Amino acid sequence: MAPVPCAICKTSRALIIRPKNHQKLCKGCFITIFEEEIHHTVTTTKLFSRGDRIAIGASGGKDSTVLASVLKTLNERYNYGLELVLLSIDEGIKGYRDDSLETVKRNAVQYDMPLKIVGYDELYGWTMDQVVEAIGKKGNCTYCGVFRRQALDRGAKMLGIKHVVTGHNADDVAETILMNLLRGDLPRLARSTSIVTGDESSEVRRSKPLKYAYEKEIVLYAHHKKLDYFSTECLYSPEAFRGSARSLIKNLERVRPSAILDVVRSGEDMAKLVPEAVTGISHCKSQKVSLSSADGEEEGAAGCGTNGRSSGGEMADMEKKLQEDEEASSREVEITSKVPNGVNGQRHDRIGAKPESRNGVKREPGKKLTRQTLGTCKTCGYMSSQDICKACMLLEGLNKNRPKMEIEIDVEDEESSTLRRKMEGLALTAA
Amino acid sequence: MAVVDVAPSDEPLQYFCKSKCFSQYVTTKAIKRMETYRVRGSIAKAARKLLFPLSFGPSSASLLYILDQHLQGQYDRMNRAAYELIVVHIDLNLEAADRKQSSELLDQYKSRFPRHTYSSLGLEDALLLDNIDWTALNMPEPLQNDSKNTGMDKLQQLVGSMPSATSKTDVITTLLTRLLVDVAKRNCCESILFADSTTRLAEKTLTETAKGRGFSLPWQVSDGMSPYGIGFNYPLRDLLKKELVIFSSLTIPPLTDLIILQGPSSHISASSKLTTIDDLMAQYFQSVEENYPSIVANVVRTSSKLQPLSGDETAACGLCGLPVAEGTDGIDGWGGDQNSASRASEQQDGKHKVLCYGCSRSING
Repeated sequence: MAPVPCAICKTSRALIIRPKNHQKLCKGCFITIFEEEIHHTVTTTKLFSRGDRIAIGASGGKDSTVLASVLKTLNERYNYGLELVLLSIDEGIKGYRDDSLETVKRNAVQYDMPLKIVGYDELYGWTMDQVVEAIGKKGNCTYCGVFRRQALDRGAKMLGIKHVVTGHNADDVAETILMNLLRGDLPRLARSTSIVTGDESSEVRRSKPLKYAYEKEIVLYAHHKKLDYFSTECLYSPEAFRGSARSLIKNLERVRPSAILDVVRSGEDMAKLVPEAVTGISHCKSQKVSLSSADGEEEGAAGCGTNGRSSGGEMADMEKKLQEDEEASSREVEITSKVPNGVNGQRHDRIGAKPESRNGVKREPGKKLTRQTLGTCKTCGYMSSQDICKACMLLEGLNKNRPKMEIEIDVEDEESSTLRRKMEGLALTAA
Repeated sequence: MAVVDVAPSDEPLQYFCKSKCFSQYVTTKAIKRMETYRVRGSIAKAARKLLFPLSFGPSSASLLYILDQHLQGQYDRMNRAAYELIVVHIDLNLEAADRKQSSELLDQYKSRFPRHTYSSLGLEDALLLDNIDWTALNMPEPLQNDSKNTGMDKLQQLVGSMPSATSKTDVITTLLTRLLVDVAKRNCCESILFADSTTRLAEKTLTETAKGRGFSLPWQVSDGMSPYGIGFNYPLRDLLKKELVIFSSLTIPPLTDLIILQGPSSHISASSKLTTIDDLMAQYFQSVEENYPSIVANVVRTSSKLQPLSGDETAACGLCGLPVAEGTDGIDGWGGDQNSASRASEQQDGKHKVLCYGCSRSING
């Protein structure tokens, strides 16, 4: 069989089938088009301005390593005029970070970039290993995620840098969109799709230049550029909703490669359809800039192998809560319908005693819309939609030597892993 | 309303030892959604016409049974009914033998529920619609008389020209909806009653999201006026698919003989070429429904909260007919396209036809 020529240069032999669209390309053309697409994203979204100092959230993993490599290349090729700095977080997980931090240190030399490592212990007084010791192996992803997000911003602040870029890729974004649909979390659905969070007024902006890049292409790029990265999975527990969404994304990609991008597109469009009452974001603003991202939970940060947040019982917990809600609200309906005159006088947490809620169309249990507005934490001054930011809440609990947030401490070990297996099985059968 | 004290719905039979209670629970949930179609006042008004698409699946069979009883109740009490059903079956089969079977089955429905008007159409009748941009599909305009090919041939040709199994299913679904809207309008119906269960609506939410049609969700899963100028209603939106399957076997006599059960997606085979996104999602929610029924319902509640964009300039998609905000049509020229040349070249040819992202993806692969 004659070798297939590259679809772009038509001369070299095609060695790579592009995961995104199955185009057959040679190595050189693949590397070029991958870089040019990131360049396209950067320029069309006006992500940077000349003279900006940019911190690259670097975990030593493939995504952030590719991001650092590509940004360095583009900065030189197109003279962006950026000052690039590597920023790493040391969660204090023995055996997990040691190797990856070594990778980041080598990257700093290879890319000739300054490196700043910020430790959880210096920021919060707790390493993750200490947190796990205090609260157990379950639910600790919440702590890790909340702490890491703030850590990047705080680290950037220490360096006097106003813009952090992270290695989130298209698969991550698509996964987050499906996950938030499954969890019924519209505010996060709306926020997670924008390429930039925070605006000129916020102390630290965040962006994800790899938002449209397929994970598989990132791996290919790293491989063909022979990048030095460290692949590891976080030692602690995965999370059911994200795990479920992830395998769904993988299956979708198999059936229709464009599906990842199509989900991202859907998410961007849906963000515009989320009622303002839910997000606190005015639709008059550019869709690309969303204000509130301070709670730091909408996405697993790139450094965390599993992107997990709490353990596998999350789906079962939510199921239970939803059922209780439903039961409670159906009882409320029953009462109101028997007391015809009492309807307007009564207050209902769940149903909202508005007249239109009786027309049968709008009457949904749990239709309460929570408004989120951006403020600052009273304790640490960090951006937050709550009075006290999540990190401070968690810290307060930790410092009292017990977790403040109840994150399914009541589920037995065994039960939880059975459930997780079930979820995995469920995902696998859809293959 | 004796059934509101309802136990968790994950194992219905365990809680509803008597099938009668369970059947009443299902009926109540559906009828609650029909509150706008109660008989009101003493002055007789003309019955409102509602289109009822009958697929022969357990959900639509169950809903027809429930509404038939509902109407009987209205006649018994008031000697008149608030609405009448125009039942239509759209045949998706392209084989003559299958079609014969469908028409026999429809006759069984007629004799079991005789008070309604029945009709049957083949999906190829959608090819006669003049509000679809056939050139976008590389099809001749419907008026061009092409006597050599029958409608069925043309449909086969159209579906066969789609680049993937997902695209085929997608275009069939779209044509089906457009045809139903047309039938509803021709019969002066004010609304279409879709028998989609919660499970089906959750599937639809994620399927449309995965096909890049997130923009269209406010019109795909919510009750109310559709952009086609006909109301869309989903009276079974509070019931799980498995509940309806059980219900259909508990009626007296059971509906089982009237139902064609779709195989449990056994054709999700090793070959991803034949698998569709619709299959994937159906299978996914079938399993979520087993262990986490409330999460299925929560997905639907969530997507029902999305609101259509107001005030933007829109144009109807040439295929699905849904409103597309200006500048958001096609699969090119958005952030994820990352190719600065694509949009410009598309607009140069002068005849810029509007297709939504999802339809454009289906046609172009």
